[in-house]
Amino acid sequence: MTRSTKTIGLKEAAARAAAALKERPEICLGGLFKQSRPVALVRALLATGADGLHVYSSPGAGYDVDLMIAAGAINEVFVPGVTLENRLCPNFRTAVETQQIKAHALDALTVVGGLMASAHGVPFQPIAALKGSDVLKHNPLITPFDCPLTGQPLYAVPPIRPRVTLLHAQEADRWGNIRHLSTMVYADQLMARASDMVIVSVDRLVDDDVVLDDPRSVTIPAHYVDAVVEVPYGAHPTASFPNYAMDEEHIDAYADLGDAARRGDGAGLAAYLEQHVTSAPDQTQYLHNIGEARLSELQAEALAL
Amino acid sequence: MSMDFSPLEQMTVVMARDLADGELGAAGAAALVPMAAIALAREMHAPNLTVGGEMFFNPVAGHLYPSMLDDRALGRCEASETFIELFGHSHHGLDFFFHSGLQIDRYGNINLHHVGGSLHAPKMRGPGAANLSYCHTSTRFYICPTVHNVRNFVDTVDFITIPGNMSGPDSKAAAGLVNEGPRLVVTPRAVMDFDPETLRLRLKSVHCGNSIKDVLDNTGFTPDVPENTGRTPPPTADELAVLRGKIDPSGALRA
Repeated sequence: MTRSTKTIGLKEAAARAAAALKERPEICLGGLFKQSRPVALVRALLATGADGLHVYSSPGAGYDVDLMIAAGAINEVFVPGVTLENRLCPNFRTAVETQQIKAHALDALTVVGGLMASAHGVPFQPIAALKGSDVLKHNPLITPFDCPLTGQPLYAVPPIRPRVTLLHAQEADRWGNIRHLSTMVYADQLMARASDMVIVSVDRLVDDDVVLDDPRSVTIPAHYVDAVVEVPYGAHPTASFPNYAMDEEHIDAYADLGDAARRGDGAGLAAYLEQHVTSAPDQTQYLHNIGEARLSELQAEALAL
Repeated sequence: MSMDFSPLEQMTVVMARDLADGELGAAGAAALVPMAAIALAREMHAPNLTVGGEMFFNPVAGHLYPSMLDDRALGRCEASETFIELFGHSHHGLDFFFHSGLQIDRYGNINLHHVGGSLHAPKMRGPGAANLSYCHTSTRFYICPTVHNVRNFVDTVDFITIPGNMSGPDSKAAAGLVNEGPRLVVTPRAVMDFDPETLRLRLKSVHCGNSIKDVLDNTGFTPDVPENTGRTPPPTADELAVLRGKIDPSGALRA
C-alpha cells in the first residue's frame, strides 16, 4: 500500500462539493472580505449549477457571496457583514430587498462560537458579550440561558457544521498540509476543524521537504483536509498575500454591473457571469481573460509590501 | 474662511488627542480615519499604545488603506492572531474602538442593517456588522462617520445594530451596558458628546468652515447646544507634519 495524495483538479473538486451540498446545503467560505477567498472554487461550483445554498463565512464577506447570489446559487446568508467595504454589495442588496433570499442578522461571536462548538465537539458555545443590539432579537442561532455556575445571562450557540468548506491558501504539499503565508489566517483553521468536507485551493504545491523542514508553519494539518487543488491565482479577484494583491478595479467594475442591474440594465452582469462563471470554469481561460499584464501588476503590488 | 487642512484630517486629530498612552484598541473595516488617528496618537503622545484586538498587533503601514483588515494596511506587523483570539478579545474588551453606520441617532445608537421596511423586507439593506461586542465590552468607543447630513443623523434608528446609549440611562442599564459606550461623535462638521444626565447627543465644538447653524441644518434632529459650544481646535503644525509626512504621505485624508 502507498499513501494516497489529496491533490485533485478544479472540476473534480467542484463536483465533489456539489454532490455533498445536495445532501445538506451548508457551505462555508474561508478568508475575509477581499483576502484569501476561494473564488476559483466558487466559480467552479457555480458552473455546476449549484443552488439553494446556505452560505457561511468568516464574519465578513463581499465579492464571492455577491457573485453566488448573482448566479442564483444562494437561498440564505449566514454572514454577519456583507460588503465590498468601499461600497455595498449590489446583488446582495437587490436579492434581500426583493425578498429573493434571506439574510440573517448575526454577529461575529455567533458564527465563530458556532464553529468553535463544532470544532471542539461540544453541544454549544456560551457567549457572554452580546447586549443591546436588535440583532439579538432576530439572530436565529442563539438561545438565551442562565449560567449554571454564576446565574449570569448568556447565549448558547449550537455547533455550526458546514457540509463543505472551501478555503484558499498559498501553499500545500500533495498530502494536503496547508501553509498560509499571509499575515492573517482569519477563521480558516477553525472552519477546517468544524466541517464535514474541506477542500483547499492553493496558489502552488510544494515539495514534501518544505513542510517537513518547518512543521510549525503548517497552518492546517492534512488530517483536516479532504482535497487540495493547485490553482494559480485561485483567489482572484481577492488577494492572496504575499503572492498577489486584491484586484480592486475588477471588483469595482463588477459592482458597477451589479448597480446597473439594480437600475434595470442587467445585460452587463449577465455577460460577466457568462464570461467568468458559466463558460470559463477552467482557470487557464479565466486568467487569459483577466490578462497577464493585470496579474503582473497585482503580483508587483503584493511584492512591494 | 480658507482651511489648510481637510475635514478628515480634523477628525483624525480630534480622535488622536483622546487616545492615551498605554491603551489597547483597534478599528475594523472601513477605518481610514480611525487608523490615521491611532497612528497619529502613537507618533505624538502615546508610543506605548498597542494596536490589537483585530487579529494583529502593531501594524507598520507604508500608507493608509480604507480597511484595517487588509494585509496591505498591516504592512509589517509584530504578531498576528485569528478569529479564535478575537472571540476572547471581544469578551475581555479593549480600551477603545471605532464605529460608523448608515444611521446614527440622538442616543448614539448605530444602524447598519436596514433603512425602511423590516429586516427581511427592507426598503434598503445595509451591510450588517461583524463585531457587536466591542461597543460595550470596551471602555469606550468613537462614532466617526465621514458624512454628516440629515439622512445619516436621525432622531431614532430603524434598527439598532451597535447599541449606544439605547434610549437613555434606564434602558442602557436594563440592556446590561455597563461601560461608557459612545464617548464622542466626530464628523466632518463637528464634535458631539453626550449629556451625562440624559445620555443624549449635544454639540461640543464646530469645525473650521462650519457654523452651528450649518451643523443643525445637517442633523436630522435638534441636538442640545450648550452655551460653551466652541470651535474645534484645528490641527497643529506638528500634527499636520507628522500626519502628512509619516502616516498619510499619499494624501488619502485629503482626497
